[in-house]
Amino acid sequence: MSSSSSFPTSRFPFAAGGAGAGGPGGGGGSGSSMRPWGSSGGTSVSSSGKRIQKELLDLNASDCSAGPKGDNLYHWLSTIIGPQGSPYEGGIFFLDIVFPLDYPFKPPAVTFKTRIYHCNVDSTGTVSLEILKDGWSPALTISKVLLAIKAIITNPDPYNPLVERIARLYLTDRAKHDEIAAEWTMRFAR
Amino acid sequence: MASDDGSGSHLPEKKEEVAAGAGFDDLEDPRFQCCVCLELLYKPVVIGCGHMSCFWCVHKAMHFVRESHCAICRQPYNHFPSICQLLHHLLLKLEPVEYKKREKEVLEQEKSVDTYSPQIIEFLNSKDNNCENGEDGDSKLEDNISKTTPEVPVDNAINGHPKKIKLEDVSCARCKELLYQPAVLNCGHVYCMSCLPFLDDEALKCQVCGGLHPGGFPNVCLDLEHFLEEYFPEEYESRRRKLQFGITQCTPEGSSPGTFCTKESMNRPSKQETYLQQNRDLSNVHVGVGCDSCGVYPIQGKRYKCKDCTELVGFDLCDECYNTRSKLPGRFNQQHTPDHRMELDNTALYGSVLRFQRIPEEGLIAELAFIGPGGMVQVVDDHEMEDNSEDEQV
Repeated sequence: MSSSSSFPTSRFPFAAGGAGAGGPGGGGGSGSSMRPWGSSGGTSVSSSGKRIQKELLDLNASDCSAGPKGDNLYHWLSTIIGPQGSPYEGGIFFLDIVFPLDYPFKPPAVTFKTRIYHCNVDSTGTVSLEILKDGWSPALTISKVLLAIKAIITNPDPYNPLVERIARLYLTDRAKHDEIAAEWTMRFAR
Repeated sequence: MASDDGSGSHLPEKKEEVAAGAGFDDLEDPRFQCCVCLELLYKPVVIGCGHMSCFWCVHKAMHFVRESHCAICRQPYNHFPSICQLLHHLLLKLEPVEYKKREKEVLEQEKSVDTYSPQIIEFLNSKDNNCENGEDGDSKLEDNISKTTPEVPVDNAINGHPKKIKLEDVSCARCKELLYQPAVLNCGHVYCMSCLPFLDDEALKCQVCGGLHPGGFPNVCLDLEHFLEEYFPEEYESRRRKLQFGITQCTPEGSSPGTFCTKESMNRPSKQETYLQQNRDLSNVHVGVGCDSCGVYPIQGKRYKCKDCTELVGFDLCDECYNTRSKLPGRFNQQHTPDHRMELDNTALYGSVLRFQRIPEEGLIAELAFIGPGGMVQVVDDHEMEDNSEDEQV
């Protein structure tokens, strides 16, 4: 099996988008007979599923809540309440969380479903957060990610912006920025 | 709210989990929870920085092209450490029910992928069973001999049950006394921090198995230290006093173990840095292939592959381990023997992997599901790899 040249043919299945939003049953692994650790094998699904369930139990953050959207354990909906004292106060922001099948070895995909005027969140809801990309560590949990998102809502990072226009306004005219942000919160997040 | 309704649909499963969770909270020591799977550590592996996870949790979290980073402190490391057998047996005694449960679960998972973690012979367990009848007598004898611990029986009475862990279970591989500031080497053997500098200091070689410890001086495994501090308060304190006394004795000589330690840790990282720099040159990296002897992952430079091992993960050695003819068994329970034939293998070289997949030089967004001969599987973003190769060119 493992002699000489079996590696390229059988052990390198090219699964396009295999680790996407598939449910516990419908993973990628296009056409590979292997059920490798960490990608789309039944095993990793059960172990990632277990971990997600454990996180679900441990979630008792006060002003943000999260849980599976429906039957799919890998697709969560979360709500973050606009922090007091910020222009987002009074808003309720919905976030989509999609766990990869090899979670927690790959970060979850977190997107804002509610429009927000923020230099680190673009119009499609993508959040630029280091820990959701290269800075991810398997020791991080969803509650820590939500905490980081809450922190970035209160304290935007205009030096690594996703929307440069907002970042520029934030740096040059903070009052105007806050005004628009509050207006957007009223419009979209109520 | 909507999210609550959503979770309601998982109620049956959830209830089970609640029960399991409650059981886990009752664990003798919650610090033996794996930070990755959030369950009881199973076949614990301790990284050089002193943090630990399960065997598979560490392995799956390792990067297969570049150096890996500790999940907790992000300290870089290149070698997949062996299972710490001392901790394994400790947990087996401390949490027999939960640990056996984990063993069953993990074995099922391993069966489904046909790749196994090393089997640990439970010699301590059988010894324990033999001792069980005469256990009380033995421990009393020990107490009488050591004299320093008259409080131990009292302590037992307070806890309401006899101690599951005996001193000999947590003794240093060198001084054979209770571990003080335990540090775990790459081979999985545990030493007191103060016992390490007296080992072969050039390469930090394990006295028990002769395995080299790469990647700098190990840190104290704090979780284990705190456990020992609480479990054996008197003994630990007496060890502390003894060692401090020992240090003051040593100081006239010039270099106390303490200063030696810091000197070492000052020197070591530079070596590691050079390794990391070398590692950035990806052209001779064998993607997803680890050395079954020293645990370096991925292998850089020459890679020797066993022609006779039939296991899915295969058996590979790095150049250094091939030349030193290490007799360590494989990391994944392979039935490798020294008379197997080894050959140079370049099929997993970074360049050839990219070429085989006919991955264009630019504009890659597709994801790559990948199983390496080292049994390591991860999904990697291609643009991540691209970034790297660009770095290399610059």
